[in-house]
Amino acid sequence: MANRRVLVKRRRATQNIRKITRTMQLIATARFQAAFKRAVAGRPYTEKLTELTDRLASATTDVAHPLMRSPEATAPPLLVVLTSNRGLCGGYNANVLRSAGEYLRGLESEGLENRLIVVGKKGNAYLQFHGYEVGEAITDISDLPRYDEVEPLASRLMDDFVHGEIGSVHVAYMKFISAGRQRPVIEQVLPLKREFEEGEVPESSSEVEYEYSPEPRELLAELLPATVKIHFFQCFSDASVSEQVARMVAMKAATDAAEDMIKRLTQQYNRARQTAITMELLDIVGGAAALE
Amino acid sequence: MAKTDTFACSVVTPEGVAAETEARFVVLPAHDGEIGLLHDRAPLFCKLDVGRLRIETPDENLILYIDGGFAEMVNNQLTVLTEDARRPDELDREAAEKSLSEAKSMSVTDESSFLARQRALKRARVQLRLLQ
Repeated sequence: MANRRVLVKRRRATQNIRKITRTMQLIATARFQAAFKRAVAGRPYTEKLTELTDRLASATTDVAHPLMRSPEATAPPLLVVLTSNRGLCGGYNANVLRSAGEYLRGLESEGLENRLIVVGKKGNAYLQFHGYEVGEAITDISDLPRYDEVEPLASRLMDDFVHGEIGSVHVAYMKFISAGRQRPVIEQVLPLKREFEEGEVPESSSEVEYEYSPEPRELLAELLPATVKIHFFQCFSDASVSEQVARMVAMKAATDAAEDMIKRLTQQYNRARQTAITMELLDIVGGAAALE
Repeated sequence: MAKTDTFACSVVTPEGVAAETEARFVVLPAHDGEIGLLHDRAPLFCKLDVGRLRIETPDENLILYIDGGFAEMVNNQLTVLTEDARRPDELDREAAEKSLSEAKSMSVTDESSFLARQRALKRARVQLRLLQ
């Protein structure tokens, strides 16, 4: 009968696991909603900023800004990798790290020196284990990154870039496309790409004569750092939304798997129990037959 | 002819919309001094300084601390873009005092560190003034 006891024990353990993973799934769902709400709340700012930048860029001719100049060959490119502090989120970290690793190997094969800033404990553990030189490890950014946590880093990177200490800044993170789709991407943050097409400016705004204060050129010089910062912040907030989605999905799968297992174990247990009863009956019947 | 004398006003930060209201009169802390806005103002686009944003709505006076940014006024729609916007009761006196003393002890070696110190000083001072 040892077999039956083992089955009961295993079933109980699996039930406990299901309880835990279900709780984690619910927590991840709540956090995802919070993170998603933040990401959506930040959208008006980004949209307005882009709109203003586009309009200004079309109003000024000959835009040359230190943040836009092409990278100097001598300065090393910098990669910022965004991973999570905690695990149990499926392939989230692995996917980001794989694409970051490919990118780094690409740089290495070109013989380029590169610098790394890694956010999140998981990424740090992985990259250090694989022998990458992590220039800076950041693990104190919260699950729902606030703007004032990200802003100092963005400002510092911009300073380094303007002073020519780094040639470019790329961010490797999990881009949130929809609740069902996230993709690991490597995005260029610096130098700023010039995306404003003159024809794309909305007609209504180009008709309006604005009163600029200070001059458009100066305004643009102030706006560009703000767009870089917001882009950087968006990477962080996208990464946190993706992380929560990944955790939600992973924990849902774990709960489902636990449920299947409980079903199987219950079946096995019942069968074992029935067998035991049958054996006992056979014993009794056999015993009674022997007495006759 | 009845004419409305209000205009739409929204204050937007990277973390969300800090305020969205009808305004009768708004005072912006522009980079070169305060600018007052009434409805039907000519289109304006200006840079803001750290300072106090005052919005007079039909019912009340709204005061916000804002940390630089930009303002755009067009078609009776004012949009203020700023990195940080807080009501005076959301400000933290202790934190502001601490950052003021920190700013005072910042070392100045070149122009950028001088500007950083000036900015930090201004931020802390504006916050403290709003708390009074």
